[in-house]
Amino acid sequence: MMKTHSQGGSAPPVTGITASWVNLAIIVVIGILSLVSLYFGFKSFIEDQITAYTYLLIGALGFAAIGYMLFRGGRPSAQSKMDIPRAEIITTLECPKCNLRRVRDFKQGDYVFKNDEPCTRCDGVMIISRVNRKKEPDKEKKQGVIE
Amino acid sequence: MTVLFAQILQQETDLNMIIQTLFSFAFIVYLFYAQRLQSLQMLNQIEATLRRLKKIRDEARGISINAINEVGKPGVDISAKVDRIMEFISIPLTEMDPYGIVDKLDHYLKVNHDIFEAEVKAIAPNAAEVERQNLENLVGLTFELNYIYKAMRHNYLMGKKTMNIYIILQVHMILPLIMQLVESLTVGIQATREGIPIGDSVGPIVAGRLMKDYPKRDISKEMVSAEVPFDGRTLIVMKAKGPGGTVGTPDEAIMTALNEKEGKVKIIIMIDAAGKMEGEPVGAISEGVGAAIGGTGKEKFKIEEITVKYKVPIHAIAIKQGMEHTMAPLVEELAEGAEKAGESVKRIIMDYSQPGDIVIVAGIGNTIGVGQ
Ligand SMILES: [Zn+2]
Repeated sequence: MMKTHSQGGSAPPVTGITASWVNLAIIVVIGILSLVSLYFGFKSFIEDQITAYTYLLIGALGFAAIGYMLFRGGRPSAQSKMDIPRAEIITTLECPKCNLRRVRDFKQGDYVFKNDEPCTRCDGVMIISRVNRKKEPDKEKKQGVIE
Repeated sequence: MTVLFAQILQQETDLNMIIQTLFSFAFIVYLFYAQRLQSLQMLNQIEATLRRLKKIRDEARGISINAINEVGKPGVDISAKVDRIMEFISIPLTEMDPYGIVDKLDHYLKVNHDIFEAEVKAIAPNAAEVERQNLENLVGLTFELNYIYKAMRHNYLMGKKTMNIYIILQVHMILPLIMQLVESLTVGIQATREGIPIGDSVGPIVAGRLMKDYPKRDISKEMVSAEVPFDGRTLIVMKAKGPGGTVGTPDEAIMTALNEKEGKVKIIIMIDAAGKMEGEPVGAISEGVGAAIGGTGKEKFKIEEITVKYKVPIHAIAIKQGMEHTMAPLVEELAEGAEKAGESVKRIIMDYSQPGDIVIVAGIGNTIGVGQ
């Protein structure tokens, strides 16, 4: 019920799905069976080619199934980073008389366009011109953005 | 190991049989239980998400209670009352006969707002107006998180009870979208707790910058306006009354201003935050026409109605941002975007009006952390 008047839009999808033990058990069982099957495939290749192909096919299918299970529904993420986040906020003050600019940490009670504190350089009063989140150093590099 | 394998391989035919039987068995099991396994897997993922959601909800509740105790100084234990507000229900209107629905919606929203305001006032009797408005936003966010949690839990339990893959699938499919929504709400907790401007505040910032040196008056509920001379024109600049967290009543303010000037307004310029598409930069400006306002659509309807009556064109300026920015503390790109939008406003005024004209400039959005 927090009201905003922003007009709707789209946002990036969030992946945060964890794999379960059921998944893991199935993968392990299929993996072992497939390995054994492949082994027999190679083993019987000289004597009986039809049997060999059948084994190889079964083994390959097993691995394909594992691949499908692993990559469907996103990769399992180890830990959720979702909690209630806290950002570092900074306040920018400007003196309308002498154009002095100063940046400090946000204090509760600060708001944009507030007449805040006397100017340190002249007898004017500094006005808060901006309250915003401190820019984080670019964590992720742009990955091939099509412009 | 090799010795073991060599031994095994000597009884190859037996082992062949065993392997083949195992595979056939696995195939048959999978044939009949694949769907069930998939359901279990999806239920597991839903459960993990649900657990996280509960943690977030509880944390938000704790923050709300602390904030109320700190600024509202109720002097008694208010956690039960907060829980009562969190369970608040708001029964939607029937739309069987849509005639007059906008007025009904208007009334309904006002009642909702008034009751919510009164409830928060009751638990935080000593909070100043600005603090109380921020608390309303904070409790509102907690309410929403609780609602999402309950709805998700309902669907999860329904799925578990019926083990019907189609019920489970529907919940599972929207999980990423739900978590995206939750994430966009949780970033608002800090902002509403401390009164920090948010992404949606860009409209009020643009308007506030224009009106800050001129005398203001209350033009409608929780709205301020100022008459600002600009290059021979008169601007009627309006925004929600800050720095408390409110969106005000922009529709009523525009209606009042137009009626007072008997429609003799050259243009209306509305500045609002708007959703960006993936790939668009944050803080980009788009100019266009039409009533730039989101929300329930009630305000948009009223503004369109009055501007049609007086035949006044509306220019729109949209400041682009993602869903994750709307309620989060303002990022630098958006603060810069608000400055650029201010230039756009001036250019539109110069291009589309002559000296002597009256222009309405409305900064739309939640004015939390933005004065005037
Ligand atoms: Zn100074």
